[in-house]
Amino acid sequence: MAQIGQSILQLDGRDKVTGTTAYTVHLELPGMAYGKILRSPYPHARILRLDASRAERTPGVLGVLTAADLSDWQNPYFGPVIRDQPIVAIDKVHFLGDPVAVVAAETPEIAAEALDLIEVEYKEMSAVFDAQEAMREKAPVIHERIMRSTALFDPAHVPLAGGQNVCGHFRLRKGDLSLAFQQADEIFEHVYTIPPTQHCAFEPHAVLARWVGDRVEVWSSTQNPAVVRAELAELFSLPAGNIRVVAPPLGSGFGSKLFLKLEPLAVALASKVGRPVKIVLEREEVFLTLTEPGTWVRIKTAVSREGVLLGREMEIILDTGAYADITPRLARGIGLVGAGPYRIPNLSIDVYAVYTNKAPAGALRGVIGRQACWAYEQEMDQIAQRLGMDAIELRLKNLLHDGDEMHAGETLQGFALQQCLERVRKALDWNSSTVTTDTGGQKVRAKGVACFVKHTMTPAQSFARLTLEEDGSLAVHVSSVEMGQGAATALPQMAAEAMGLPVERVSVYFGDTASAPYDQGTNSSRTIFHMGRAIVDGCGQLRAELLAHAARLLEASQEDLEISDGRVAVKGTHERSLGFAEILGRTFGFGGSLSASGMSKSEAYLDRETGRGKGSTYYFTGAGGCEVEVDLETGAVRVLRYVAANNVGRAINPMLCAAQIEGSAAAGISQTLFEEMRWEDGQLLNPNLVDYRLITICEAPPVEAIVVEVPHGEGPFGAMGAGEPAIVPTSAAIGNAVARALNVRLFSLPLTPDKVLAGLLHADEPEPGPGTAGTPA
Amino acid sequence: MEHQIRCTVNGVERSLLVSSDETLLKMLTRQLGLCGAREVCGMGVCGACTVLVDRVPISSCTYLAPFVDGSTIVTIEGLALGRTLHPLQEAFNTFGASQCGYCTPGMILSAKALLDANPKPSEADVKRALAGNLCRCTGYHRIMKAVLSVVDGGK
Repeated sequence: MAQIGQSILQLDGRDKVTGTTAYTVHLELPGMAYGKILRSPYPHARILRLDASRAERTPGVLGVLTAADLSDWQNPYFGPVIRDQPIVAIDKVHFLGDPVAVVAAETPEIAAEALDLIEVEYKEMSAVFDAQEAMREKAPVIHERIMRSTALFDPAHVPLAGGQNVCGHFRLRKGDLSLAFQQADEIFEHVYTIPPTQHCAFEPHAVLARWVGDRVEVWSSTQNPAVVRAELAELFSLPAGNIRVVAPPLGSGFGSKLFLKLEPLAVALASKVGRPVKIVLEREEVFLTLTEPGTWVRIKTAVSREGVLLGREMEIILDTGAYADITPRLARGIGLVGAGPYRIPNLSIDVYAVYTNKAPAGALRGVIGRQACWAYEQEMDQIAQRLGMDAIELRLKNLLHDGDEMHAGETLQGFALQQCLERVRKALDWNSSTVTTDTGGQKVRAKGVACFVKHTMTPAQSFARLTLEEDGSLAVHVSSVEMGQGAATALPQMAAEAMGLPVERVSVYFGDTASAPYDQGTNSSRTIFHMGRAIVDGCGQLRAELLAHAARLLEASQEDLEISDGRVAVKGTHERSLGFAEILGRTFGFGGSLSASGMSKSEAYLDRETGRGKGSTYYFTGAGGCEVEVDLETGAVRVLRYVAANNVGRAINPMLCAAQIEGSAAAGISQTLFEEMRWEDGQLLNPNLVDYRLITICEAPPVEAIVVEVPHGEGPFGAMGAGEPAIVPTSAAIGNAVARALNVRLFSLPLTPDKVLAGLLHADEPEPGPGTAGTPA
Repeated sequence: MEHQIRCTVNGVERSLLVSSDETLLKMLTRQLGLCGAREVCGMGVCGACTVLVDRVPISSCTYLAPFVDGSTIVTIEGLALGRTLHPLQEAFNTFGASQCGYCTPGMILSAKALLDANPKPSEADVKRALAGNLCRCTGYHRIMKAVLSVVDGGK
């Protein structure tokens, strides 16, 4: 294992520190026009009249794309699960910010000014902004008819539902829940709420598209270029091979750049004006393009006197805003893990994805795992408190272990939760009774922990195309994307190991569908596992071919040969060996090469009624812990230090694993303390980085990343992944520490000073039960 | 209104025609093709567009180009000497202080301004100097370590 487990420096690190990385925002093509989007000023309205003629007559304007251009289209709607999002608004708008028209002009300034010249007459409709209200019978209907997308998912894995504004419903049923509640010594029930946050990927969404004859080329800041191509093929009725999607390195994504976003606008506009079109969003538009679903969780647990979890009932409502995006799939995913990483014999979980007249919501790093964990891990602390048990001991008593059955029925592999929790306990110097107050009595310190389990997108496919070049070096083409997570380093390390080459002799080319085959996307912490497996598979094929040729040339049997450092040798000899280039040259003549296509495929099956079967090809696990200091006078919460232990399976690059864990935890701490998209009557009040606050270097605590390595049998070299999971327990760990410090529990995020002070004011009142969401505002 | 200005950018004297409402960021990106400074917030609070104007870190997205007449500007492109990285660039690379890289140039330039003025900063000094540079990827821990590793201002 010369390459695996080595903390080599990022192979693209030099570009990043010199500022030379070529992101999509800076790409240009000859004759390029600039697109700007006119957005709806109303959250729900009919479009009575749209006149773009004045804008079109403006010097420098090349054309305006409106619904009129889509009138002869059979289906101008897109969406990865449900085709509910029109390229530009048709007949009505669904949220304040919905694209209504797109202007192409010679400069971005001319395009922006022309937006004001487009006349639109609206008739406002009654709107709904709260997901629970939207589910009521008399709520305004946001989409009259919806149609499934068939480009991406087997419908069997997308639980859709009818019902008022409900676009997804996943249910899990296991055991006999009513019996569990009858037998319980204690029953706990609470409601938790989590507001939507925004990814705040620093590079805004950007796209550049051009037509070349009947082919389309698209450069896009996307996390899943192959999926974007599939969606474009469906939407524009083109053969997939006629579409090239290139994803340059991303200025991060965190889920905000999955599936079609700006690509349909740019492709349609480029077709209309006959020029390449580039669109780059302003920050405010980024906030309106995709958010995390606002989440409501009701959780009810049956527990024995001894602290054994007997049963759990959960209802989770995800506010997907105006368009479904991937939220119906998130409903399924969170249904698999929402009960927490515990042995619970009786379960009933319902997860709903619900439309409202707000910006569309979809995946964000951790995909609702943080929200569910905020509920189930705060419940664990409350159970421990009432039963007089230590919070960690209660968890250890109920933890799922390697080889146990997960809620849907899979057998857990590489599930080292106990080890992670023990490591956090030790690093934190855990002593649940220690709550300290400073001498002035103003600042209280306490610790908190949380465990988690997280699924990965399943079923999913990754393919890689590999070529052993004429000089014996290896080129690998993947549609994975480098977005800061380190794939540009870890994938070459795996390829080098699998091929028996030094890493300098391997090149991995990212994100170009013209050269790379299908991949489900750079999301769900799946690239190391899935693309890693595809690359190892491809290298295996190349090695087999090399060995066959070498056996003939060396007059030896294949079993007697070994590969290392770019050579094939008869075992135990130095003189009887050939370099890869020599084998290729002597087999094919000068200029010969070998190619292979590697594959990784995961499968799922879930029963429609019970949600039981196989839902995730593997499960991530880990624990987080922290010490906080709460200022009783100002209500300010400071995280003094944070410990994150995650099982990554096998660390391909330990430094980059630690960096992912640190960064993911820090993002979760930021969301927990500061982040909330605030809406009023359908208007987003804080679509900018002044009013929407991110953690700075001043508040960011040191994060101690503990990289646990219990291998997964099916992972490449035992590896699983590390990008998202550490974010999942952050909110609950901090919430548990704050509750211990204050002796008051807070049920809604973020933990802002006003909530802390309000909590202290109401400290003597009985705790809120179900129906009273969260804390007093 | 158009202004003829003269300034030095990364050691090269420039004579440029800029409009009254043109930001320094736009001038650097569009006129000089320097893409290391990037617009993220567009409001001067995130630091991703930081450049040094007469050694002072400035948010170029909210600074008007006519104001740099007669100034000396350093951008991230002016830090490395050929293939030799500036010690801060080297440190960011070594400590894994950069992930997506979008904020990195601004972060490095703010750190450079600090180290130029204070070659042996404390952790609190670094926090103060980088308080206006946001990073969504790293959690800042490795950035802190990288900056503190560059002793004596990297000279």
